[in-house]
Amino acid sequence: MQITEIFSSQLPVGETLSIKRSRFEPTHKKDNLKRISIVSGTHGDELEGQYVIYLLSSWLNKNSSLINGIIDLYPAVNALGIDSITRGFPLYEVDLNRAFPGGKEEYLPGQVVYALAQDVKGSDIAIDIHSSNIFLREIPQIRINKEFSEFTLPHAKELNCDFIWIHDAVTVLEATFSHTLNQMGTRTLVVEMGVGMRLTKEYGVQLLNGILNLMKKEGIITTDEKFESREPFLSEIGEVFYINAPTSGLFVPELNHCEVITKNAKIGTIVNPLDGAILETIYAPSGGILFTLREYPIVYEGSLLARIFGNTDEKN
Amino acid sequence: MKKIEILRINSLNRAPLIVEGYLFEGSNPDAPTVAIVGAMEGKTILPLYTASKLVDFLKNSISESKNILGNILVIPSINHYALNINERFWPLDKTNLNTMFPGYAEGETTQRIAKRLFDAISGYTHGIILENREDLSTCFPYVRLFQSGYEDIKNAKKFGYKIVHHKELRPTDTVSLQYNWQLWGTKAYSVMCPNETQIDMNSSNEVLEGIISFLSKNKIIKYKVLNGFESTVVTKEDIEIVKTPKSGIFIPTKQIGSHVIKDETIGKIIHAIEGEVIHKIVAPSNGVIACHYKNGLIFENAVSFRIIKSG
Ligand SMILES: [Zn+2]
Repeated sequence: MQITEIFSSQLPVGETLSIKRSRFEPTHKKDNLKRISIVSGTHGDELEGQYVIYLLSSWLNKNSSLINGIIDLYPAVNALGIDSITRGFPLYEVDLNRAFPGGKEEYLPGQVVYALAQDVKGSDIAIDIHSSNIFLREIPQIRINKEFSEFTLPHAKELNCDFIWIHDAVTVLEATFSHTLNQMGTRTLVVEMGVGMRLTKEYGVQLLNGILNLMKKEGIITTDEKFESREPFLSEIGEVFYINAPTSGLFVPELNHCEVITKNAKIGTIVNPLDGAILETIYAPSGGILFTLREYPIVYEGSLLARIFGNTDEKN
Repeated sequence: MKKIEILRINSLNRAPLIVEGYLFEGSNPDAPTVAIVGAMEGKTILPLYTASKLVDFLKNSISESKNILGNILVIPSINHYALNINERFWPLDKTNLNTMFPGYAEGETTQRIAKRLFDAISGYTHGIILENREDLSTCFPYVRLFQSGYEDIKNAKKFGYKIVHHKELRPTDTVSLQYNWQLWGTKAYSVMCPNETQIDMNSSNEVLEGIISFLSKNKIIKYKVLNGFESTVVTKEDIEIVKTPKSGIFIPTKQIGSHVIKDETIGKIIHAIEGEVIHKIVAPSNGVIACHYKNGLIFENAVSFRIIKSG
């Protein structure tokens, strides 16, 4: 394993910002090796990817003889953000995942994403691990842009996630890591799982198995070991129902995340601690799986409370 | 003048956010109309100040109400919640309102705010958005128009600011108010304000006078104004970006608006711990300083100045 600095910048007061990559490759160099890049920490408040990458690097350390490709790990793209609980790039308040492809001549956030994109460029596959945000908890899922789904969907199915969400192309999302890398010819998948500022250990293990499974299928590791690969449900076979807060208040959930629920099940209440009033009771508009659930209890009118993946015909 | 409620959002622990607009009804139904949107974000003062002074001007400085020819709607502040606690974006989820357009009635809080605002300002002939640059620089007032295919450069010159920046459209600009307003048939202009935390009388007057000039020249108000600048249209090719190879304490020695000559020293970087000058920033060409970095500490390779080339 070799650690390389892919970007560095001297900060104003006695500190250097450094973005690092670790590379695992076979002990005996070969030509035409497949390369996979695992990226995380683009959003400084999302830490689940840190744990997955730790599990993976630790697995690779123990099983270095099984490595038959190049595995590049970038756990902390927004290094300053991660260490200061800042989602965006500190000071500039810029979402790094809206700053791609960036450029050498751009401001610091643009330079960072440019360096990342240039370094990942040429990989066969890239996985960008996100963990929602501090407000919502997500079931392990893959988000795929329809535009590239022909190439990315088969890989997504190997990743041992519960849900694959295929979405339409949106212009504003062209500034993301995944869009930029997909356009450069790297098959790039976005994982969303867990919640911001926390680790969900079982999800970490679940995705580790998925990544090992995919790497085995792609010949990046060679092993007889079988890795769990659950069958994900695809967004195309049903419908995603959004439940936004009808009013502002304190949201108290009644159900557990990931539960399979029936239509009209009570999802939770929005209450006012000051006078003890129940402001709203929230019911499920559809049966299905509660794959997104509000974690941060303060809500404003419009705040997302939950998402349900259900059957289309239940809408009526 | 009529005060109208544009939108209201309740909060568990704060007083409701009530956004109000000031509608000055015109005396001539055939005259063009205008809506002006003030502060969508906090941490700066000029968009708010300019819009509120405009309300004062229309209310108290126009002697006869019949001199207001076309309808004028001014919404001085959208994001009181951010302004009151010196946050830049929506304080709970830190989303930027100016990336939520055209908005969505059933969506997230800021999408709903954007939708209600957008509904209230739709249908006007002209739309003026008072904005700040999104990076950490301050500038002289200018008009920013995206190269969207809908822009009206001729009218943008009627503000009489030094420049109209005709800017390439990026993917992230497609969710801005300007772009969506254009798309729905209003001639929209972003007036880029100096990024200040205190009111500077000179620059704030310049912003306000530009807007009054625009209203007058488009015959939305009958009011005699002094001519401003004959605006120069500037694109990427006209702008010289001056970066600093070193990080440290940044001291601009030339002011915004100054004419500079090639190789002239315009700023310096001081070592943050040892105090010596570690880099002298020199003008790469003749021109006028349009922007400079606004904080005392600057990153390596950051843009320290933007110069509009001349000569
Ligand atoms: Zn994220």
